[in-house]
Order: sequence, then structure tokens, then C-alpha cells
Amino acid sequence: MGQLEIEKISDTTFVLQMGPHHPATHGVLKLWCEFEGERVINIKPDVGYLHRGVEKLSESKTYPGAMTLTDRLDYISSMTNNIGYCLTVERLMGIEPPRRAKFIRTIVSEMTRLSSHLLWLATHALDIGAMTVFLYAFREREQILQFFEKICGARLTVSYPRIGGVRVDIEKNVLDEIDKFMDEMLRRVDEYETLLTENRIWLSRTKGVGQITAEEAVSLGLTGPALRGSGVYYDIRKLMPYDAYPEVEFEVPLGENGDTYDRYLCRIREMRQSALIVKQCIEKMPEGEVLSEKSPDIDIPHQGKRKIEAGDSLWSGFIAFSQEKHDLMPKGEIYSAIEAPKGELGFYIVSDGSGRPYRMRVRAPSFIHISAIPKLCEGHLLADVIAIIGTLDIVMGEADR
Amino acid sequence: MNNLLKKILFIDLIKGLLITFKTIFTTPVTIRYPKQKRPLEDGFRGRHAFVRDPETGKERCVACTKCAQVCPSQCIYIDYSINSETGARVLTKYEIDALRCIFCGYCEEVCPVNALVLTEFFEYASYTREDNYFNKEKLLSNWDEFIRQYEKTEYLNKFWHLPGIGRDRLPIGKREPKAVSKKEESQ
Ligand code: SF4
Ligand code: SF4
Repeated sequence: MGQLEIEKISDTTFVLQMGPHHPATHGVLKLWCEFEGERVINIKPDVGYLHRGVEKLSESKTYPGAMTLTDRLDYISSMTNNIGYCLTVERLMGIEPPRRAKFIRTIVSEMTRLSSHLLWLATHALDIGAMTVFLYAFREREQILQFFEKICGARLTVSYPRIGGVRVDIEKNVLDEIDKFMDEMLRRVDEYETLLTENRIWLSRTKGVGQITAEEAVSLGLTGPALRGSGVYYDIRKLMPYDAYPEVEFEVPLGENGDTYDRYLCRIREMRQSALIVKQCIEKMPEGEVLSEKSPDIDIPHQGKRKIEAGDSLWSGFIAFSQEKHDLMPKGEIYSAIEAPKGELGFYIVSDGSGRPYRMRVRAPSFIHISAIPKLCEGHLLADVIAIIGTLDIVMGEADR
Repeated sequence: MNNLLKKILFIDLIKGLLITFKTIFTTPVTIRYPKQKRPLEDGFRGRHAFVRDPETGKERCVACTKCAQVCPSQCIYIDYSINSETGARVLTKYEIDALRCIFCGYCEEVCPVNALVLTEFFEYASYTREDNYFNKEKLLSNWDEFIRQYEKTEYLNKFWHLPGIGRDRLPIGKREPKAVSKKEESQ
């Protein structure tokens, strides 16, 4: 990758290639770092090691089929990816999921947020040197994954929502179990806070590290907790509510200084809010179906159904087939975004009326957060680079797509 | 002042250490995997199988090819011939390449006669690729293997009846599917 190599500024600096196999880069991220002594002068992130062509591939799948690909974007929080995609297609088609489906989706997406934040907390603390939190957070995350297994039969790549609802209902006893677990979860979050929030080692490693002002964060396009840590009120769940978010009450935690510590506090408080949202949803859970009447079939054809009427020649059947292929879906373009655990996850879909997306583009928060690494790392030590990668909560599956 | 005292007395660290100390007395959450196994939940999406119909002893598949059409990774291959007397489709080839499967469960959801199922069986790693390329016979023997170690007496997958979805939207076979009962081994 010659074009990305850094040219050294002077003889006293040296260039270090960190990654793509470094355990603290959270995936296959490569950083070209230039140091003067131990201070960072210049950093260039190098992405693309996990590129699988999801966007291109989805052009050859039907709309329900392309949903299974979105699982593999941010594989830590596949539920929210699915929901974001389904929501975009629903808005394109102008259908509305039933009320029960909306509540179920809110529950699972908040549980995903919990599990994603738990993984973030675990790895972030491990990078900085707190091993215990890693073990504790994985203990709880395992329970959330087990709930996903109960709900839909898969733990990681769930493919649970469907365009216009969700695939299967959640049983009553599972809901009760989730409710009980959320009480426990609130206690556990307090435990993590006791371990970290006042810990002097944690404070000295995170306070003042990777500081970014609100204006800079906005101009870099940061979203999610990375932006809210700088005190900007931007949460799509509040500003452009989807699913059952307008019907539940929750706060959007904001930081002040925009450093690693504030982002940590934001996420920790968000975990509490998530647990409370799940509890509210379970309390208000309406009865009814979970799939909208107008939702497209899972085996929607790529193109129109072939209609050959009696007495017709094969040729006229072919004509009808090729003419009709463009009215399965409404034509047009749509962008819609949801608040994924890592930030604003947007899907941009161009539809030409056939059963497949003509073009799908994913606005992945991790990709945009990577572009903030050079800014955040300026003038910091090498050890802080690790903390900054951790605080941005990057998943390369989503950044490289 | 208060903060300074806290700092000198290491209160912050001691509080944390108390939590780790208390955890010593809780029961461990880990299990020793190959010896101990975690019970799987109902509807877990594991290895594919063809349901062996307890009445006919054969597979139920009617060769409608819906599963092959819906499969996002296109790993199901079907061939059929038409029985000239009855006009019914006869399955001549049915193969699933499990190494390409992404376990989305679309195939079992779409199957109108509940012939295909993703069983709650996950330990099928093998040394050769051929072992995970299932043909019709292998799929049926997968089912036998699964049902033998299944604990309950009846098996009903939730993707067969899709709770929460209006019954009139589903094909007839999926509206009120019967559970497959486990046959006694000795017979
Ligand atoms: S589970 Fe999904 S990928 Fe696997 S065979 Fe069925 S439809 Fe195809
Ligand atoms: S959908 Fe079911 S019946 Fe149709 S071909 Fe597949 S397994 Fe056979």
C-alpha cells in the first residue's frame, strides 16, 4: 500500500505501523503512526482489510435477502442493523409495523445497545489495564445473547426483524425473564461504576485524553456517544423517533469536556437508560400480531411474476415479464437513519421498482469515527492511542463493509 | 478535604477490590464445555435436516423449490422430475452446502409443508468438506441423529408455525402444524 505510507518529517521521528493484527485495534485497523519520542505527530488510519462488498452484494439479493447481509456489518449489534435496514425499506414502501412489533423491536434494539456497550466496556477497560471488568461484562453479555437465542434461535447474526415487523413473537415467560434480568443489569452497572468511575488509575488514563470540542466533533461527523460526550444533544431516538421510542421516557446523557472519561460516563449512563426503556416496553407491551399485512413476502421474486395466459405465445409472456418487473416496489430514493449503539447508522436505498435494491449505501458510524482518530490523537502518547481507539468504539466489519 | 482523605486512604481502590473479593463467593458462571453442555433453546438454528415423516418414513418435501429461491447465500440445489401419471413433482436431487449457509432460517420459514428444519444440533465440525455437503440421505440421517438425542417427546419448531403472524397469511401447512413425535428406539 505504497500510497498511504508516511513520509518522515525529520530524522528524529520514526514511523510505526500499528495493526492490522494488533489486538487493541479492535479488528483489522492499521495505523501509520509517526512519533517524536513517544509523542504522536501524525497518524494515518488505513482501512479496507475487512472489505466484503456488502453494498454491492446486496444489489443481487432480494430485499428480505439483503437484510441477512446487514447482520454482518456491525456484528456486535446485528439487531440494530437489521432494524435500520427494515425501517428504511418500510419507509420506502410506506408501511407501518404493528404496535406489538414496534415494542418488540425497541426491546431488542435496547438489549443490543446493552450488549454492544458491554463489549465496548470490556475491551476498552482491558486495553487500559482493567482485566476484571472484562470478565464481568462478558458474564452479562452472555445472558443477553442467550435471550436472543430464546427469541429467535441465533445469538450473533440474528436476522430477527422483517420488513414490516418481526419474524416471530416473543413468549410471555421470556419477557418476564428479560424484565428480571434488567433489574439485575442495573445493579451490575453500579458495580462497573464502583470499579472504574473513581478509580485513580482509570481517571489518569482517561481524563483529558482525546479531547474534542463540540464544534470539531460536529464538523468531523461524529455521532452517538462520541458526539454526546462533547455535550451535543443529538440522538435520533429523540429527534426523529422511530419504533416505540416516542412512547417511552428516557434521558439522553450528555458529557461536558468531550474527553475519553466523559464518553465513558455517557455510555455507562446510556446503559442504565436502556435497561429502563426495556422495562417500560415490557410493561406497556400491547397484544396483537407482529407482522404488518402489507409486508412483502419473504420469497418476494427478483422480478415480477411470470404470467403466461392460455393461448399466449412464449414471446408475449416474455414481454409481459420484462415489462412488469419494475412495479414490485415503489420507485425512488430514500435515506433513513437510526440510533445504533455506535452512532447514526443510515441506509440509503435507490429502488428501481424491482425486487432488489438498485443501490444500497450504508452510512456506518465506525467508518466516520475512524476519520477522527488523527484529530483526537494529536500530541498524545502511544499508550493513549489505544485508549482513543477504544473510546471511539470501532467495529471494522462496519467500517470496511 | 474529603477527597484528599479518600485519596490517601485508597478508598476508590478498596471499594473496587471489595467487589472482586465478594465475587469469589459466587457460583461460577462458566461451564467446562466438552464435558458439560449448555441446554440449547427451542428453535436454535443449527444443522439442517429433513423431517422424517413418522407415518411414511420418508421426507415430506414436495419439491416446490421455494427454499432454493429464498436462500440468500444460494446454497440449496434442487432437481425434480414430474410423475407422468399423477402430475406430482418427484424430488430427484436435493443438496445443501452447509459451509456456505449463513443460518438465517429463511428456508425453514418459507417451506410450506415444514419439510426442512434447522435442528438444535451444532457440533458437526468435520475434517473434510464433503461431510458438510448434505444430500437427501444425509439430511434424513441428520434428523435421525438429532431426534435420538432430543430430550422431549415431541418436536415443534417455532419457525414452522410462526407465532404472532396472522394465520390466514400463512400457507395451509403452516397454520396449525402437528408436532413430530419421537419414535421409540427399540421398535
Ligand atoms: S438457513 Fe438461510 S442460508 Fe442456510 S440454507 Fe437456509 S435459507 Fe440458505
Ligand atoms: S421449500 Fe420445503 S417443500 Fe419446497 S423444496 Fe424446499 S424443502 Fe421441499
